[in-house]
Amino acid sequence: MRSPRSLLRAILLSLIVFAAACDGPLRGIVMEDPEPAAPMVLTDASGARFDLAASRGSVVLIYFGYTHCPDVCPTTLGDWARAKRALGDEASRVRFVFVSVDPQRDTPAVAQAYAWQFDSSFVGLTGSEAELESLKKAWHIAAYAEGDPRTRDYAVAHPAHTYVVDREGRLRVLYEPGVRGEELAEDIRKLL
Amino acid sequence: MNPECVVKSWPRTFASCCSLIAVLIGVAACGAAASDTPQAREAADPTLFATSAWARAADSAGSTAVYFVIENRDTVADTVRGASSEIAESAGLHVSTQHSGMMHMTSVPALPLPANDSVSFRPLGAHVMLLGLRRALFADDTVVVLLSFGSGRTLEVRAGVRAP
Repeated sequence: MRSPRSLLRAILLSLIVFAAACDGPLRGIVMEDPEPAAPMVLTDASGARFDLAASRGSVVLIYFGYTHCPDVCPTTLGDWARAKRALGDEASRVRFVFVSVDPQRDTPAVAQAYAWQFDSSFVGLTGSEAELESLKKAWHIAAYAEGDPRTRDYAVAHPAHTYVVDREGRLRVLYEPGVRGEELAEDIRKLL
Repeated sequence: MNPECVVKSWPRTFASCCSLIAVLIGVAACGAAASDTPQAREAADPTLFATSAWARAADSAGSTAVYFVIENRDTVADTVRGASSEIAESAGLHVSTQHSGMMHMTSVPALPLPANDSVSFRPLGAHVMLLGLRRALFADDTVVVLLSFGSGRTLEVRAGVRAP
């Protein structure tokens, strides 16, 4: 049987490991001098205005994709859903926003329905071609059709990363696709 | 031979021929049905296997990806050359790639399958893309995909559907 001293040592070691995990560096591409995130104002499926600036105080995860994307977009949103579950009650201070950059096939309603497949709290948005062009310019991102856009099944090249905006509204970190939901949750906790 | 006898026996001969043809058609049909089962395919080609197959749930008329691991136990290399599925208007081999911070998805004509080795079709990599789904796919459904290979072999893959 373990002595009280060795038990205490084990508990202390666990606490040190836990503290190290809490204070460790964020995974992903961390901005050295985070700057305010670019504006994002779009109209959601209900006709209400979505303004990223109004999410100040919450951590916001943003992914630019498209609903006909069968691989990386659902993989990413699936990882978000796992992160949200891992966050438990803390997820109430996190917003998950999917922005379709395929205005030809996606409407705000289609983007919202797509996001809801993963979690009913996820936000799905898109905009007109003009709105998305402004958004892409402001966020320094690209998105364009690959293949013949006159066909139904063209692909869209889009940013790979999840963009994370911190509670102060600063673009803080980018995550590669494929980051595990639990790891993402661990990092989000550090930003809350 | 008595012509009358030939005429009289014709209906019986005709009936016998019809019975034989019916039996032959039946046997052929049974054979075709048996060859459509995964067991029959495995029995026909014990060097090709698909494991860990799954597909993501999706809405009707939408698209989804199918993932699996193909094992080639043959001593000869092969190529995966195509895919088809009755559940989709079209199916194809696609590869997701990341360049300079951008995600791209490309249709590829074939993917190499080395001898005595396996190839993984997995998220963010190679996958079978199903376009124009004829019905919505829900968790616990099964999607059947027929893979074709450069060698002429085929393999039926049964993929369980997972929630997105």
